Amino acid sequence: MNLQGLEALVKMELKKLIRQPANLFLTLLFPAVLTLMFGVVFGDPELGMDMNLIVPGVIVYACIFIIMTVAQSFSTERQEGLLKRMNTTPMTSGEFMGSQIITNMTIAILQVIVVFALAVLIGFRPNGSVGAIFLAFPVIALFSLSSVGLGLITATVSKTPEAATGISFVFILPQMFFGTFMPITDTTRRIAMLITSYYVVDALTLIFRGDWTSTNILLDVGVISIVSVTIVIIGILLFEKYGNV
Amino acid sequence: MSAKLDPDDDSAIIIKDLVKQFENVTAVDEVNLEIKQGELFSLLGTNGAGKTTIINILCGILKPTKGTAIVGGYDLKKNLKEIKALIGVCPQEAAIFRFLNARENVELFGSLHSIPKKELKERTDTFLESLDLTQASKRKAKGYSGGMLRKLNLIIALINDPQIAFLDEPTVGMDPRARRATWKFIGSLKSRNKTIILTTHYIEEAEALSDRVGIIDYGKLIELGTPKELMEKHEAKNLEEVFLKITGRRILEGI
Repeated sequence: MNLQGLEALVKMELKKLIRQPANLFLTLLFPAVLTLMFGVVFGDPELGMDMNLIVPGVIVYACIFIIMTVAQSFSTERQEGLLKRMNTTPMTSGEFMGSQIITNMTIAILQVIVVFALAVLIGFRPNGSVGAIFLAFPVIALFSLSSVGLGLITATVSKTPEAATGISFVFILPQMFFGTFMPITDTTRRIAMLITSYYVVDALTLIFRGDWTSTNILLDVGVISIVSVTIVIIGILLFEKYGNV
Repeated sequence: MSAKLDPDDDSAIIIKDLVKQFENVTAVDEVNLEIKQGELFSLLGTNGAGKTTIINILCGILKPTKGTAIVGGYDLKKNLKEIKALIGVCPQEAAIFRFLNARENVELFGSLHSIPKKELKERTDTFLESLDLTQASKRKAKGYSGGMLRKLNLIIALINDPQIAFLDEPTVGMDPRARRATWKFIGSLKSRNKTIILTTHYIEEAEALSDRVGIIDYGKLIELGTPKELMEKHEAKNLEEVFLKITGRRILEGI
């Protein structure tokens, strides 16, 4: 494995995040603004929302938008001939996809840190111990695989970066409405249980409440792992067969 | 790092019955060609003649519909990984990360070729200096002129010191001074026995640099020889006239 190449690709992806204001806003600033807005304005349980739901919801919401950034990034690089150019080097597709996964897992973890830190700043007090709260990192890192996979599927079917932005909402909206901070009724819960983000919010809520030993969390992590790994494999296979041209 | 060619085999590339079809269009039509090690071979033709398609097949971006090629002693259909270690590709459109500066772009692609970091830095310095990009090397590429992007495009292609370099219209959009500097740079590769496959529609470029020229028209290789041989054979003053006599069209008409 070309570790030097892998490291260079991860660095490049992180520079892309930092140097492109739209990416930086979507990935880190927007979740930060949402945390502050929801926390300050709607953070009162009497308004139907409380921080215990908002914080896991905003973290998941931010991670869902990785679908859009991955789809835009791949379709832009394909349009500009960069994927073709990288294909002429000895780098393997495994190394390339590995760099995408590492980068987006890192971004997802950064999102957890930003949202969590801001939430604590405005009064969020989780019951879980500090050690237990760190469990949120692997949970969200696993979920980021699903976002990378859905981003790749979006890039496969999108001819341009603009189309990728629009099509990504096919995957973003259901996850957003049925598995973030939106209130769920008993009826909508049936739909939500078909969507991965619902299980991520549930797992994070349990972790922040200090119920991380609950058997429910095992079920959540099981569902997240199986679905996310399956989606990322499908995404990689589809993109390599039909999208990387 | 670029691997080495077998010194006992003087062929760098052998193309056998190569065909590429896109739906109903035959972009490459039964091309057979042998390019020797250390040769600078130019493919001359109008836009859409099939030059870029041939290069894209030889560097593994496109799969041929029929036929195959041996690149650096390796079969294109079986040993693509080994071929990629031997080649450098300068695409027609500058494929550059615009949010990175020149140095970051070069070092990124150098890392994909596993060039040791110290050597990569030294080589990057030398190449940027050779093509007059040192001063701009810390500015993001999105602020570069077309000519600067073309130079950076070429440096990235050659950073792994490839045994075989595919240069697809490397000087398009450059001013005459930059074009001359690039010719000198390409000439320095030739003097180090590198095999160079150049596509161009600049007649003077093909005449100045090439050991041999292949004229491609509608996907077919219709003429092959040294510039001198072709001019003598067709009683022409230059390659433009050769092209006109063979195809009945001027090379620039197709652009």
